[in-house]
Amino acid sequence: MKRHASRHFSEEELLMHFLQEETADVERQISSHLKECTECHAIFREYGDLVGRIQAWPVPEIPEQAAQSRKAVLLAQYRRDMASGRSEGIVPFLHDILVRAWNQALEHPLPTLCYVAVAVAFALERTISTFRLDRILPGASEVIQILRQVF
Amino acid sequence: MVTSQSDADLVEKILDGDEDAFSRLYDAYHPRVYATAYRIVQDMAEAQDATQEIFIKLYRSLADWDSRKAKFSTWLYRMAVNHAIDCWRTRQRRPQSSQDPASDREALPEHTLGEAILTPFSALEKRESIDRIRSCVAELPELQKKVFMLRYFHEMKLEEIADMEDCSLGTIKTSLFRATHAVRRAVRRAGGTQ
Repeated sequence: MKRHASRHFSEEELLMHFLQEETADVERQISSHLKECTECHAIFREYGDLVGRIQAWPVPEIPEQAAQSRKAVLLAQYRRDMASGRSEGIVPFLHDILVRAWNQALEHPLPTLCYVAVAVAFALERTISTFRLDRILPGASEVIQILRQVF
Repeated sequence: MVTSQSDADLVEKILDGDEDAFSRLYDAYHPRVYATAYRIVQDMAEAQDATQEIFIKLYRSLADWDSRKAKFSTWLYRMAVNHAIDCWRTRQRRPQSSQDPASDREALPEHTLGEAILTPFSALEKRESIDRIRSCVAELPELQKKVFMLRYFHEMKLEEIADMEDCSLGTIKTSLFRATHAVRRAVRRAGGTQ
């Protein structure tokens, strides 16, 4: 194995170098290191080979007839939507907002749960105090006290 | 932000209800959108459904595309990856069907058979490493999967992905490295490295 003067680079740095995602300065350092370090060069080559394998991942072709019929269905849907002016109106607007909110909630479940818990607690406190439920329901005044302490 | 004039023109026409423009846009982008969906959901029929839904979503939200913020292709591929991940998530929640991803192999291009005849061991090894890659990618966390798809199959720069995902470049680099490293381990276990 050849001797080398510079430090070894991490696997992440070597991968980024292969993908040309490093700054020009780092690129230069890694390039000169790779010329003298067989160890890093072997890892670099392995990542290169792996990226090649990943990019060679084959995709089955859709039979021509199926592709054509799917395209026809899609174009018909487009025609219908354009004719009915789907992109305007309050209902699709509200639908889009709900879909986006739902997707956000799925992507970030913990913050969403926190928001929901706060909203429910707030609504509970408002409901009990507005309708004076503490007079009817036993224990409601204790609940309201706890909620007020929390907020 | 550079967006080809033809894409911008097509988008304008599609918004005006030009079916021919929508058809041309579909022809231009359908193969890559389908490939993305297939690699994420890993089922041919579901990938075709997802592709259909992506194009419906596309024309319905076309007015939201801002050419100053992102190239049209970047915007579309991001939408494709996000939607395919949603489909994959829904599929995970459903009870397992009898559909085996391996059954799609029957539909893979004919040349793989030719390769198998000429060099049986390397073709077998290649197939095995592809199988390892697909099962490993299926297990990746969502952000890693997204970065993996956009970087390796759409040649998007990591900086562009970071902007799009509203993440730091460091986070995106780490995500891609972790995903690639996981795939490397899986391929190695299969004895796919020299």
